[in-house]
This record gives sequence, structure tokens and C-alpha cells, in this order.
Amino acid sequence: MTGFVLRRIGQALIALFGVSVVVFALVHLVPGDPIRAALGTRFDPEIYQVLLERSGLDQPLGVQFFDWLGRALTGDLGVSFRSGRAVTTELGDRLPATLLLAGGSLLVGLIIAIPAGIISAVRQGKPVDYAASTFAQVGVSVPDFWFGILLILLFSRTLGWLPPGGYVSLTEDPVEALQRLLLPAVTAGVVTGSILTRFVRSSVLEAMQADHVRLARAKGMPERYVLRHHVLRNAWIPVVTITGLQLATLLGGIVVVEVVFSWPGIGRLALDAVYGRDYPVLQGSVLVIAAGFLLINLLVDLLYGRLDPRIRS
Amino acid sequence: MRLRHRSTLTVVSLLALVATACGGGGGEDVDLGDSADPGAEDGADGGSDAEGGTLVAAIGGEPDQLDPHVTTSGFTFRVMENVYDTLVQPNDELEMEPALATEWETSDDLLTWTFQLREGVTFHDGSEFDAEDVVASLERIAEEGQNSFRLEAVEDFEASGDLEVTMTLSRPAPNLLAQLGAFKGMAIVSADDIESGDLNESPNGTGPFAFEGQSGGDSITLTANDDYWGEEGPHLDGIEFRIIPEETVKLTNLETGEVDWIDTVPPQNVAGLSGGDLTVESVPSNDYWYAAFNIEREPFDDPEVRRAIRQAVDIDAITEAARFDAATPNQTAIPESSVWYHEYAPFETDVDAAQTALDEAGVSGLSIDLMVTSEFPETITAAEVIASQLDEVGIDVQIRTEDFNTWLADQGEGEFDAFILGWLGNIDPDDFYYAQHHSEGVNNFHGFVDEEVDQLLDDGRQETDEDARKELYDQAAERIVDQVSYLYLYNPDLVQAWSSEVSGYSPRPDQATRFVTTRLG
Amino acid sequence: MSTADTTLEGPSGDATPRWRQTLSLLAKNRLASAGAVVLIVLVLAAVFGPSLVPYGVNEQDIASRLNGPSGAHWFGTDDLGRDVFSRVLLGARVSLQVGVIAVGISLVAGTAIGLAAGYRGGWLDAVLMRLMDVLFSFPVILLAIAIVAVLEPSLFTLQLAIAVVFTPIHARVVRGSVLSVREDVHIQAVRALGASDLRIVAKHVLPNVAAPVIVQASLSLAFAILTEAALSYLGIGVQPPRAAWGADLQASQGFLASGSWWMAVFPGLAILVTVMAFNLLGDGLRDVLDPKQRSVIESRGVT
Repeated sequence: MTGFVLRRIGQALIALFGVSVVVFALVHLVPGDPIRAALGTRFDPEIYQVLLERSGLDQPLGVQFFDWLGRALTGDLGVSFRSGRAVTTELGDRLPATLLLAGGSLLVGLIIAIPAGIISAVRQGKPVDYAASTFAQVGVSVPDFWFGILLILLFSRTLGWLPPGGYVSLTEDPVEALQRLLLPAVTAGVVTGSILTRFVRSSVLEAMQADHVRLARAKGMPERYVLRHHVLRNAWIPVVTITGLQLATLLGGIVVVEVVFSWPGIGRLALDAVYGRDYPVLQGSVLVIAAGFLLINLLVDLLYGRLDPRIRS
Repeated sequence: MRLRHRSTLTVVSLLALVATACGGGGGEDVDLGDSADPGAEDGADGGSDAEGGTLVAAIGGEPDQLDPHVTTSGFTFRVMENVYDTLVQPNDELEMEPALATEWETSDDLLTWTFQLREGVTFHDGSEFDAEDVVASLERIAEEGQNSFRLEAVEDFEASGDLEVTMTLSRPAPNLLAQLGAFKGMAIVSADDIESGDLNESPNGTGPFAFEGQSGGDSITLTANDDYWGEEGPHLDGIEFRIIPEETVKLTNLETGEVDWIDTVPPQNVAGLSGGDLTVESVPSNDYWYAAFNIEREPFDDPEVRRAIRQAVDIDAITEAARFDAATPNQTAIPESSVWYHEYAPFETDVDAAQTALDEAGVSGLSIDLMVTSEFPETITAAEVIASQLDEVGIDVQIRTEDFNTWLADQGEGEFDAFILGWLGNIDPDDFYYAQHHSEGVNNFHGFVDEEVDQLLDDGRQETDEDARKELYDQAAERIVDQVSYLYLYNPDLVQAWSSEVSGYSPRPDQATRFVTTRLG
Repeated sequence: MSTADTTLEGPSGDATPRWRQTLSLLAKNRLASAGAVVLIVLVLAAVFGPSLVPYGVNEQDIASRLNGPSGAHWFGTDDLGRDVFSRVLLGARVSLQVGVIAVGISLVAGTAIGLAAGYRGGWLDAVLMRLMDVLFSFPVILLAIAIVAVLEPSLFTLQLAIAVVFTPIHARVVRGSVLSVREDVHIQAVRALGASDLRIVAKHVLPNVAAPVIVQASLSLAFAILTEAALSYLGIGVQPPRAAWGADLQASQGFLASGSWWMAVFPGLAILVTVMAFNLLGDGLRDVLDPKQRSVIESRGVT
């Protein structure tokens, strides 16, 4: 067990190191001078010199990298070219919105996927199963930003039932925060839900084939009891895994939904940094999102290892 | 980002002021009277007590910096307009009125200006406002800000008393007041804050509202300043600025009452919004949008070619396409609403004549690399229309859409055949023309060089007689239009909307968003 | 499906070529057939579109702008009076082009990397696959955005960015398949006979990994088109005035509040239909060629 944990953590660390190399390299791949590009017509030799020294771009590449990495490890991701604030502050400001939307979307996905997946497995081949798989098929094919636009058109503009996004923090006004969360969370949650539905269905199906389930059924236990005590108990392990992976995907993958709903998350911060050539913020946000992705993957694997000792070997 | 294009704000009436001061044999006080907003209701309360509610105002983007001397974002000023004051400020007619300076006088040679400062003003942190703050602020602007050009004529700032500041000029500057009050980029901040470097994190001004806090990327809140020096306001308890970039989201939030006020209404939505419970008001702005051709490249170096292109283009159709009804086509820069307006419209769309002129100039099979930016979608629309119009005379227009920073970098390096953009918030004619069309102009990215224009613009900077000055700028404008230095398109309207609960607010041609006299309910 | 014959000609030497079997099996899958039919129509639209459409994609008519669907304009007109139907039809060109080129590049790169890693094993495998892990830990859209930001935005950059994002997926699939055939008796036999590595890979390994690669390519096309649309929607993909679904959706958003729903609905529907067609075809191919592989939905679940 310890061996597995250590090996897995080691892999994650190596990947994280690789990620940081890529993130660092990104800025150095900018053709020409990134600071010059960042300043554009605001160019001013004095400001340029300050930024140059602060960013250390005048140092040899290797020195720069380990310098940057060292500071990143101590929680210093540099200062935004645009706002002059610490990148960590900017990220910290955006984190709650990102977590709220990712959590909300995952919740919506699970609310869709668990009943839909279980029912379609139990009624395999019946109309409800086809309906669920059609939903899943459409769900993975729909462009999320378009779906979001349609939801705004319908629920905000035509029916006037729900606000079309815009973030309010949970601590400020929980009711309004949740109202505003609803449309963006449904937008991102439907894609997640479609993916999860398929997984729930297949793992329930698999569990239903297991010997002890057949045995229980053969003993004449009520179907409902069998389902609850024998099937679902085993089916949830792979579902937990895939749910974790979905959360990781959501954390970094909802940039587009954030844009549609004017949601101030990390994805939009990164996007604004791209538009504004704010390289420290771009590096910081990509690094944090990728690290989050790796961390969740690691946790999921470790959890999975605990739940299902077979994969440790 | 807008502010980068808000070239120079200057004012009209100050010429009259200077003239008066001059005529009076020097030393005559100039006092524009009190600064109460004439448009406001005369509430019984009158004073500066806040009596009602928090206004929720939606703005279309996140301020980059809160430091008014450093920021380049127009969104910052939507907020900071209410936090900071300048020495003088434009009134509703864009004439400069007293703000932190109550009166001023100029010497006979027009090279020394002395400002008397308002008594009993305090910053939001409670500290006293005095001449040291003014000197420190203006010196900071003159040294490092992107507004240093506004103070270019000033050699020295001196605190000649506790509440008196003396400025020494290197040349007469008829538009000095206009520069000092141009917009809140000329804000007077506390000398202590400059020293401690707190201006970005915790803005501290003398305006009607005090900065309370910001939650990242999402909102900025202000609270009423009960010690505000103005005659009226603030009436609100506070303002919450919400950042909502997506237009549909912003509009819907206004319609459903989630927000009380929005900073812009896209032109295509004006018709749909009017008529409900909402108030939609528009005002012709001092902004203008234009196309420019790279005069350092062939064949655009030939004025005849530029004129031919101008003839092939129909600016009415472009205006209609890009702005619906919310703009006025204009062949020059300065809008009809300005006292500096000069009626001059020599061009008529004539495709055949354009074709003939192009043939005569030996131009055929021309392809133009036209650079626009997604930051301002109307440049894309205008480009699409221009492309189809120039297609008629056999010119192939390749539209290149870039993010704004890349765009700016390419503009700076001359990497374009042509581009489309606008200049926002100008007041004084010098701001409309000098930086763009003088051969030494800092924003003359398209390489226009014309001795006659240079001479006229240089003279305009020093001419203190208002009529003579206007005559100079009229001549300059005609020459600039004739030479097609810029191909002027239109002056847009500023359209804003708010709920029926809101009163005591109106949009201003200089885009300043002042809520000092605004009430809710 | 011209690749199918080279790939599937196994050592078995059946009387009917396997690609015919595959096709006839595929034809029995109604959903997959529907997907294939839709795709054929799209390809035809992309190829012959310019002569089919009732209006030019950039033909402006300000007087009849923002008109709803009608006999003259089936999908209505946009803010410049351009025909939305014509733009949607020709939008297929950009989407298919970007999808095919991006997936093509990632297919070649991913297959090369996967073959090298899987066949060689050892340190090369470790290095290459860790590299793929690294690329894999970036969110797809964000990595593509960063790449476009660093290079100059252009159609080529867009294709390259999407290709980079998809390379690890192909590399993993190929490597997995290579590992499973590497120790096959017949490959070991060939090796024992002294065949060169290159020959073994080309003649014996590659044909065996072709099936999963084809399936994966079809599914990747779906996802690549979604990615292209998203990037164009964000304004860093295909640029106006070129007709592209994502970019047109971006432009439509300013006109939702004034009620011009048709500007948003039809381009989005086009994306949905195209992506779904690739997905259905991909799932169908998987059922026929490589039943062990994950379905489209499942494969998105782990990316």
C-alpha cells in the first residue's frame, strides 16, 4: 500500500514538474520580447526596465526557470503586469467563484446521472434506457456555450424566471448566489451529467452481473433490496473515480461557460491574461489549474486504491 | 482599456476665462461660482447627508488598476469618477468649473497661474487636504503617468501657501484648465498615499463616495462620504459596481431589476429597451471613429489614392451598419454638439469617380490589410462594410482581427496597411488633432506629415484669442480631411439606461459617470 | 475509409476483405449509418457549398438586416443583412477543415510517439509517456488558448493548438495497442526470423493498432470541432468575416437581447449535428472494429 502511494505521489510530482516547465516555456516561446509585447504602445523605457528586472528575463534561461520555480514553491507567482497586484491575490479572489461553479455543475451532473444511470441499467433495453442514452449522446455533442446561450434566451429573456448569471458570493447573499449559479451550473452540469450517466449505467450493469448479486436474487430477496444492498454498494466505486475526474475537468474546463455567464472564475482570468498579454497571470492561472487537476487525479487514485485493493498491484 | 484612447480632454470655456483674466490686466480673479449641479432637484435636505439606498451599477469590464494615475482602463474611471476630485472639473456643458480649486488667476505674460484651494476638504481617511497634496499629485502625473503630456507646458509646481498652488509655464497654454480637469486621471491624491504606495490597493480621495472594497473580478463597493465638500450630495448610501462583461447578461440584469444602472446600451438594443419601465438616455458623445491608412506604404502615400478610397466609401452606410441609429456620420472629427464644430463635408460617395481616380493613379489589383480589434466589435462591423464597398472598385480588403494588445503593438510598429479605431472623450480641439496629425504627434501612427497642418496645430496651442484659435483649427481640420489623413466615420452617441427608481443622473458627452446627485426610489 | 483496407488486412487472408465486412456491419448500425450520411452531406456542402448557397456569405444588405426566418432567408439574416443559411452551410468548410487537419496532425504525431514508446519500451517509453501525461494535465481549452496566445493567432495556429491537445490521446491509445500485440506469437516469430524493427512495426504492428486508431480519430474529430467552435467563440479562433459557426455564435450574442434568436440557434445546431454525427459514427466503428475500447462518452469522461 505504502509503495503504491509513494509511487503515485512520485508520478504526480514528476508530472507537476513537467507542467511547470511547460508553463515557464510558454512565455519564452513568445516571439520577440514578451515585456515589450505586454506593454504595447504603453511602452516606456523606465517601466520596461522595471518589469524586465522584476521578471528576471535578462537572466540566463536556466537561472530564470529555477528562480521562478523556487518562488512559485514559496507561494510567490509574481506580480500582474496589468493590475500590479500579486498573482496569488488575483487567483485567490477568483478561486471561490470557480469552486462554486465547479461544485454546482458537478452536483447538477450527479442529480441527473445517478437516477438516470440506475434506472436505465435496471430497465436495460427499455424505452427509458434509450431515452437516457439519447440524452447522453446529445449531452456530449452539444457545445456548452451554445447551450448556455439558449438557456439565457429561454429562462432569462423569454420567461424571465432566472438571472442570466453574474456572480454573487455565497457569504454575501446565499439565496441570490444560488439563483445566479443555477443557469451556469446547469450548462456545465449537463455535459458532466451525460458522461456520468453512461458510467453509472455501466457500473450498475456490471455489478448486477456479479455472483453474489445473482446469488441474492436466487435466494429470492426482493429486487429493491438486492439493488440497494448488493448492486449499488459495489457500483459506486468506479462512479466515485469518474466523478473526481469530472471535477478536475470542470475546474479547468469551464472557461467558455464563465464567459457566457460573466462568471469571474480562474478560467476567465486566464483568458483575460491572454488578451492582455499579462504573462505572470497566465502562467499562474495555468499552473494552478493544472496542479489542481493533478492533485485531484492523485487523490482519486489513492482513494480508489483504498476502496479497491486490486488496483494497487 | 478605453482610456488609452481617451486622448485629451480639454475644455472650451477656459479660453474665455483666460481672455477675461488677460483683459483684466492680470491678477483678476476668475470665479465660476458654485459647483452645484443645475440639473438636480432642490431637495430640502440640500446637504451632504446620505439618505437612501445602495445603487447597483453594472460596468462592462474589470478595472485593471485602481491607481488613477497609472490605470489605462476606462472601467476604472467609471468607478473612480466618484471617488476622486480634480482641481477643476467639466460641468454639464463641458466648461471647467471649480472643484478642489475655487479660484485662480494668471499673470500678464500668461506664464504664471495661481490657484486658491478649497478650505476644509478632507480625504476619506480623515486627513486634511492641502497644497502639498496638489503638488505631489501633479508632479507624479507629470513625471510618470501617461497623462504627463497634459502638463507638458508646466515647468514647475509650487505650494505657495497652505491652500495656494503656483504653476510656472514654459509657454502660454490656453487649455491648461481643460488639461487639469480633463478627467479623473488628473486626480488629486494624498501626498502620504503617494509615499506609502497604497493608491492601488486602497484608493483614498476627496470625492462624494469613498472606496470600501473590492471582491475579485466581481464587484467594487463605495460608501457615501458624509464630509463631501460639494453643495449637493451624495444622496445614496453607497454604490456597488458589478462587473458584467457580457452585454446580454448585463441588459437582462437591468430588465429584471438585479441592477439599477448600466454603463452602456449596445446600439442595437436601444429600441428594444425604450418604452418599458426603464429610462434610456443618449447623448452625442465627443468620441469619433475613423479609418487610417499607412502613409509610409505605397500606394497610400499618394493623397490621390487616399481620396479615391474615400470616395468609394459610404460613411452613412457604415454608420448605419455599425451603430444603428446611435451615431452621426461626420467627415471631420469634432461633433456638431461641440462649440469647436466646423461644418465641412467635401466628399460624396462616387464609385465611378473613385474608380477613375484609382486608374489614373495607376492602382490596380490592390489588396489592403485592414487591422481591427475584437475589443471594439464595431470596428469589425465597420471593416466588413468597408470591405464590401471597396470591392466595388476592385480593392480586396483582408480583415485582420486581433486582441487589443496585439493590435496596439502592431499599430505602434506600423504593421498594417490600414486600421479602424476611435478616440474617446476629447474636449479641446488640440486633443482632436495634435497627437494624431502633427508630424511630431505621439499618436501619429499612420505617418502623416504635412507642414501646413503642423504650423496650424502649433499656432493653435498658443493662440489665446478664442475666435482666432477656432479659425486655426477649422483650417487644420479642412486640410486634414482633404488629405485624408484620417478617413473619419462617425461620432457615436453614449447610450445608458437605468431603472425608474433612479433619478438625478444623466449621461455626459465626456463619458464621466457621476452619481453625486443621484437618488434611488 | 480508404485506410481501412491496409489496416485490416490481417494475416488471416479471408475470402471477403475485412473492410467489406466492416462496412456491411457498420451499415447495419442505424445510428452509425445516420451519422455517416450526415457527414457525407456536410462534406458535399463544404465542397459544393459556394455554388449551392442562395447568397454570398459576405453579401450584405443592411436594409433587410436582422430579419427572422422567411422564404427568402430560411435561417433569417444577421446584423449586416447576410443570409444566415448560406453562412451556416459554408461554415461546414472551416469546421471540417480545422477538424481534419488538426486531428490528422495529432494522429501522425500521436501514432509515432505511441509506436516508439510501446515498441521500444524502457526509458524512451517512460520519457515519452510522462511528457504525454504533462500535456494531458492541462485543461484542453486552456492549453489551446495558451498556445494560440503565444503564437500569432491564425487558422494554422488554431489547427496546431488543437493538434497538440489531442496528441496525447492518440499516443496513449496506440501505445496501449502496441503493448498488447508486441508479445504476440506471430510477431515474435517474425522477429526470430531476423526482420528489422522498422519492418516489424510497418508490416505487423501498425496494422494491428489501426482499428483503435481509426475509432479514436472519429471521436477526436467530434471533440476537435467542438474545441474549434469554442475557441472561435472566444474570439481567438477563426476570424470574421469568414463564415464559421463558433465565430458567428460569438457575433450573435450581441443581438440576443433584441430578439434575433435565429442568429444563435442555427449555427449552434449545425455544430451539434456535426459533432453528434462524428460521435455516432465513432461509436459505430468502435462496436465493429474494437469493442473493448471505451465509447465516446466514456472516453470524454477520462480526458
